[in-house]
Amino acid sequence: MLKNALLALAACGIVVAGPCMAHAKLQSSTPANNAHLSEAPQTLTLNFSEAAKLAVLKLVRDGKEISVPLDKSAKAGQTFTLSLPPLSPGNYTVQWAAVAADDGHVTKGSFAFLIAS
Amino acid sequence: MEINGWDLAAAFAKAVTYSATFGAAGAVFFLVYCSSLLRDQQRARIRRLMGILVGIGGAASILRILLLAGSMSGEIAGMFDGSFAGMILSAGEGRATGVRIVGLALLLSAFSAKRSFRGAAVVGAIAASTSFAWVGHIHGMTPNTAATLLLCLHLWCAAFWLGALLPLLVIAKGGNAAQTAAAAARFGKLALRVVAVLLAAGVSLLLMLIGNAAQFWASDYGRMMAIKLLAVAALLGVAAWNKLLLTPRLLKGDARAAQLFRRSLLAEMGFGALILLTTAAFTTLAGPP
Repeated sequence: MLKNALLALAACGIVVAGPCMAHAKLQSSTPANNAHLSEAPQTLTLNFSEAAKLAVLKLVRDGKEISVPLDKSAKAGQTFTLSLPPLSPGNYTVQWAAVAADDGHVTKGSFAFLIAS
Repeated sequence: MEINGWDLAAAFAKAVTYSATFGAAGAVFFLVYCSSLLRDQQRARIRRLMGILVGIGGAASILRILLLAGSMSGEIAGMFDGSFAGMILSAGEGRATGVRIVGLALLLSAFSAKRSFRGAAVVGAIAASTSFAWVGHIHGMTPNTAATLLLCLHLWCAAFWLGALLPLLVIAKGGNAAQTAAAAARFGKLALRVVAVLLAAGVSLLLMLIGNAAQFWASDYGRMMAIKLLAVAALLGVAAWNKLLLTPRLLKGDARAAQLFRRSLLAEMGFGALILLTTAAFTTLAGPP
């Protein structure tokens, strides 16, 4: 009885279940990783593989952090667009951390872009 | 996969949470299932150990949330940033931790000899051991009802098996050969079925997680899963040796078998710890590809 119920449950799950999404991964960003820009961007956009909450966003130039307002109470989403302060030419690194909305896993990463003088 | 000290600490805290929760829940299952075979002194010792494991399980659960919050910013201050902890708690970890802590608290009812309290302890053991199913990769599946039920069964069976090892060791160290043999035989009788369900549920979950097999086994998640499966095979080997060769010798009163039985329990604990450590690693550090 138990064996049959378990087999039915397993078969049902294997046949019906859709693909399991991995953690929220950064699929793309604007500016893109290693982008060489001739003008300073006014916004920063991060596009994730699944709905997530953006917990951390640090914009760093020459080891100095530039403040970027981030609403930590915002609802989970796949795309986040943040307004940037006026940026001067130089090399920038963006560090981010997000929490996947469905499985609660934390993912982190970084990317860089250059604003030419 | 970028891994730093925070991630490793969070994975280790999860492994400790698994070990303590399964140990405490399994001790309650054992106290109920093998109660008539235990002497009062052994029952009290198992309860004391269970109480310690409840404390460790609760503390490690909370520490893990603080470590995950710290890992977001990479700074110690992040551990105490309410907004980070709030994000983790609201994404499922809060539900899982809440159920686990309530379940662990109910386990303490096992200190009472009253029958109704014993029932509350069993409910607590089931809630605590299956609390890990309230969050995790299966919640990324649609639908996920069958997977959640299978994971609950898998977790409950794991707690029953792994959590019985410490009580069995208490008996094997302090009891006489006949008592050890009787406990091993009674536990082994039900464990055979429990392990079959554990494996069936585990394999079914694995089949659900594998999309492209080649891609899966080449991923960090797949590689860590392979280490876990090797440890499971080793644990099954020791358990089979224990049940098929040692237990019959114990029942015949073989003194050498009692010594080997104690060693086999320690070996099972070692492989069990490796399984929980790898599970904590691939559920914290990686995701299915």
